[in-house]
Formats: sequence, structure tokens, C-alpha cells
Amino acid sequence: MADMAEPELKERVQQLIAENKVLLFMKGTPDAPRCGFSMRVVGVLDSMDVEYGAIDVLPGLQPLREVTGEISDWHTFPQLYAKGELLGGCDIVEEMYESGELAEALGVEQPAAPAGGPEMPADATEAGLPAQSPPLQIDNAHQQ
Amino acid sequence: MAADLAEIKSMIESALPGAEVDVLDQTGTLDHLEAKVVAPQFEGVSRIDQHRMVKAAVRERFDDGAIHALTLRTSSP
Repeated sequence: MADMAEPELKERVQQLIAENKVLLFMKGTPDAPRCGFSMRVVGVLDSMDVEYGAIDVLPGLQPLREVTGEISDWHTFPQLYAKGELLGGCDIVEEMYESGELAEALGVEQPAAPAGGPEMPADATEAGLPAQSPPLQIDNAHQQ
Repeated sequence: MAADLAEIKSMIESALPGAEVDVLDQTGTLDHLEAKVVAPQFEGVSRIDQHRMVKAAVRERFDDGAIHALTLRTSSP
């Protein structure tokens, strides 16, 4: 396989980043994360009053790695974008959450959450939490 | 395939001469690692770029599947 990112996929990813104010590339879906780091970012986002789009990268992991490498110089997932900019992966998102920078970057209020970090997504069905946007799909059928 | 902690440490040290680097195995499976990196090169560099610099140093080990995840704590001395 060529090292260069596929132009069509890259264009689609750039479009999604531009169209979604907050966009998470993750392994699995917000309801069923398939990686502990992705789950932690979902937990952070669900504790904040923010709507976000989520993309499951697992169906096209390698092509998407190459694409995000070209777009953002970042090759691992999860990746959280806000207003078209990459904020970072799990470590940075958690640090930003704790310092209040994340709320600022997402344009929301810092939740008055008890110490000990955000709730796990299991609580996301409770009333009062924002509706989760459905996972977005990227068609990887053209790969290989 | 698992990573060699000493190799990961030396890859980061050669990319960032003078850095203090600690590499730990988070899961006992040698593929989810944690690195604490204190490097003079991080002075005045945003956190995301600090992470980019470390990840770039070990990218080969992500690409060949030796590392699945690398938790980073970066700072300047």
C-alpha cells in the first residue's frame, strides 16, 4: 500500500472536521468504545454540555492514520477536534479538562463536577445530558 | 510484537538530546506504554507540539505495531 493518504478520504475527513464544531475520531462508538483511551475522551465529553460528532476509525484505521497524519501531523486515536483544530489525544484532552481549558476550547461552561474526573458513559442516559449525535460514517469501501 | 522499553527510551533521547526520559509499561504487555519526558526543547512549545515531537521520535514503533498506545507526560525543565 502506498504511504500517501488517499485524496478522496482526505477530502472527506477535512470536510467532516470543518462541518462539525466538535468532532471525535475514536475506536468504536460513544455507546460502545473499543479502546480505553477513546472511552475516557467520551467520558469527558459526556460530562460537558456539548454535542459532538464521533467517527469510528476501526473500519479504516490505516488509511485514516495516514490522512490525519497529513492533515494534523497526528497518527494515533482518539483525536478530538474543535472548531477545525486538533486539540489532541486522550492525555491532552484530560489535562485540558482538568485545567478548564477544554470548556473554553469547546465554548461551554466548565461542569461543576465533583473531583475525581468525569462520569463514565454509562450515565449518559440520565436526563439533562446532551443528546449524543449519532456516529458519522466514512465510506472506506474504495480502499485497497 | 512488543516494544523494547530501552529502545523506546533511547529513540526519544536521540530525538531530544538532553531530555530526561522515563518509559513504563502500563499493562504488562509491553504495548501500552507511558513516557515521562522532560526536555529543554519543549521550552515555549505548545503541549500538542511537545506530544508531536515525542510521537514522531517513536513513530516507527507505532507503524510496525510494537506500540499500541503511548501515554505522555511532557514538560520543560
